[in-house]
Amino acid sequence: MSRNLKKLLNYSLLKISLIPIMLWIISSLVFILLRVAPGDPVDAIIGSGADEVSREFLRNKLGLNEPLINQYFSYIQNILHLDFGQSLSTQEPVLNIILKSFPASLELCFFSILSATLIGFPLGLIGLRNRGKKTDYILRILGIATYSIPPFWGAMLAQLLFSVFFKVSPIGGRFPIFQQQPQITGFLVLDSILSNNIIALKDSLYHLALPSITLGFLLSGIFSRSLRVNLDKTLKSDYVNAAICRGISRKKIFLNHALPNALLPIVTISGLTMASLAGGALLFEVTFSWPGIALRLYEAISQRDYTLVQGIVIFTSILIVSLNLFVDILIAYLDPRIEY
Amino acid sequence: MKKNFLITIFIFFISLLPNSCGSKNISQKIIVASYGKIESLDPANANTLKALQLISSLGDTLYELSSNGELIPKLALEMPIISKDRLKITINLRKNVLFHDGTSFNSNAIKFTFDRFKNIGKMNYILGNRIKSIETPSEFSVIINLNKPSSSLNGLLTSVYLTPISPIFYKEYSDKYLNEKFIGTGKYVLTSFSNEVQLINPNLDYWGEKPLNKGISFVGYSNSSSLFGALKSKQIDVLLSNSIDDIQRNSLNNLSKNKKFKEGNSPFSELSFISLRTSSYPLNNLNLRLALAKSINRKLISEKVSYGLRKPSRSIIPPILKNDNQGLWPKYDYLEARSLLQKENYCNGNILKIPLTYRSNVPADKLIALTWQEEIKNSLKDCIDIELNGVESTTVYKNLSLGIYTAVILDWTGAYSDPEAYLTPLLSCNEIVDGICKKGESVYSGSFWGSNKVESLFLESEKISGHKRLEKLVEIEKIAANSIPYIPIWISSQKAWSQNKISKPIFNGAGIISLSDLKLIDE
Repeated sequence: MSRNLKKLLNYSLLKISLIPIMLWIISSLVFILLRVAPGDPVDAIIGSGADEVSREFLRNKLGLNEPLINQYFSYIQNILHLDFGQSLSTQEPVLNIILKSFPASLELCFFSILSATLIGFPLGLIGLRNRGKKTDYILRILGIATYSIPPFWGAMLAQLLFSVFFKVSPIGGRFPIFQQQPQITGFLVLDSILSNNIIALKDSLYHLALPSITLGFLLSGIFSRSLRVNLDKTLKSDYVNAAICRGISRKKIFLNHALPNALLPIVTISGLTMASLAGGALLFEVTFSWPGIALRLYEAISQRDYTLVQGIVIFTSILIVSLNLFVDILIAYLDPRIEY
Repeated sequence: MKKNFLITIFIFFISLLPNSCGSKNISQKIIVASYGKIESLDPANANTLKALQLISSLGDTLYELSSNGELIPKLALEMPIISKDRLKITINLRKNVLFHDGTSFNSNAIKFTFDRFKNIGKMNYILGNRIKSIETPSEFSVIINLNKPSSSLNGLLTSVYLTPISPIFYKEYSDKYLNEKFIGTGKYVLTSFSNEVQLINPNLDYWGEKPLNKGISFVGYSNSSSLFGALKSKQIDVLLSNSIDDIQRNSLNNLSKNKKFKEGNSPFSELSFISLRTSSYPLNNLNLRLALAKSINRKLISEKVSYGLRKPSRSIIPPILKNDNQGLWPKYDYLEARSLLQKENYCNGNILKIPLTYRSNVPADKLIALTWQEEIKNSLKDCIDIELNGVESTTVYKNLSLGIYTAVILDWTGAYSDPEAYLTPLLSCNEIVDGICKKGESVYSGSFWGSNKVESLFLESEKISGHKRLEKLVEIEKIAANSIPYIPIWISSQKAWSQNKISKPIFNGAGIISLSDLKLIDE
């Protein structure tokens, strides 16, 4: 094993060893904050009109009358066994609810990042090509504008324009209301391909288009700006000048040397964006009635469904921590300048 | 290259057009949309209006309340037969009725459904301790034995929570919920269920009149704007109004007046009111409560907040349930309010400070509070100062019985169609000390008001029925109106809008839309 690979392995192990501590802190914080937050799940479930006997009965049934410390220990013990418990409002296993709604968020996340890349990268390159010209300034303003627009407002505007005014896009949801969706993995695009169903594929892409392109457009500014700035910096660097002096073609310099180096910070940005989106783009999912994990979290919070909120937060924490770890290791592997 | 790029983009956007991409609704199912999702189709677990709406299409209750408040037998063959001591109710059941699983509906199904709801029903408190046992003397006859006479049981028998389910299908679910399926006797059968979309088809073996449509697609959107936009862009056929914003409700109302949509209204059933803490200073003083009641300009609030779509109410019982529109609570009269306050040494430099709590997550509540505050500033500025305090609803509900709120804006919809379903939760009390309720329903409504007279009238009303019972219940309301533990503000109805190609939505007396009556007009 080479010295570098051994170093990378040690670095990875160190990072991995921190994950359980991070998750313990997050899960304990979620537990405490939910109990400190005002409101009672019993009220959220049966309303304020129920008598005290019914309330007590439901509290006992849901285990809410247990001492907090007992609730905490059984909660931690269950998490260690990957048992997130049952939803207080539906009695359905929390893991089932998460697994049902997570594919929707991940699908939206994947296609949004893809749209952001497809929109952001060409705009960044066009801006760089026209450095200092009117186009460059317009694209810079556009880039800054996209990531300063509040996502929920952008989503509502897109919905109003394309769904209500032009009527070219569905108002919300993942699939036509009047049709049964393919159910294999939960990823509708993938399921449509797996079941060889072209109509379902068209329908799922049609429903995915507006939310993912809108979210992608709003994220594209970060991608175009980062690419523009990093590529500009790289192209002005000494090693690029040296390569030009050696007579290497500009195309080769750009593709083989400048672009890979300029993409390194973008890998970090993509990783972090992906991590946050996989946990659900909350207001986007609410606006487009997208049945993802963030919409489920939003509903669970309003219902004071403690177990479901805890489950979703821990699940997304695991996801974010794992993706961050992956990005860290990837960067460490790709960039020899990084010390570890 | 630039040209090719632009052409590609253009083709991509063209491909988004519905004609080229999205599937068309060729099933001729009617798409009905409303707010939120359905977590459970189990009558013992369901607690949202939307779920109850769907369950009522998939199942039948023993009785139904017509739009003019009359009891109509559904799975019951005739009106209930009540014994002389009023402790035994015999119901003869309809024969040749099949559940969706092909099994027969009979008295065992009623016993199974009632017992199951009593044991695991989330809303089982609506039964109270009324029902002692259920007997099944024959296959199509059931006897409900009561612990004490209860004339409100008739209303309870219309409750969707008690929709009979197949005992055979639910055998393994007698003590747990079955959320994603429903096997009842209704006009429709469930063909597909997800939390967001539910598909129902006509039940070909239905015992009664068949639905007028070829099925319903029931869809939930997570915000009011989407619902509004979906109706306007014709992506849905019918919109149910639960939780739609007042401004959009008003816009749809105007569009309906201009014949762009058809609008259906349910009877008024949702009451908004202010609960006053009568157990402690300052509102333990009747004159002050009376002054507050007279300072509320309901008409103005209705016009400013709901564009006049919610009906100002001086009663806590919906008009349909007491067969009149009589308002018993004091009318708006700020001059009289001023003189009452002056009698209690307020005004002229001594200002009565009233902290008014509203549920911050209910937009209408905040607007009611602000409008009342402004009205007070205009007419009684030197006498009353309303201090607003927004608190999230679940916190409000939790703290109500602790007596934290001097005055709080709330709403209430009866769990079944009977005046008692409005009076009991607001006015009844189990333990009264010096006119203050220590234990009972009025504690949980935040008023802490109790009256021995009211309790005895409640007991008397259980022993009689019909018009005499109604008179007793109205007498209870009169006592409350004179003591003012609450100030009713308005009463609102459910609304539904349909596209012009669909028939007008019709509601029954319990505020449930009759999905089977919806039909495509060009069919």
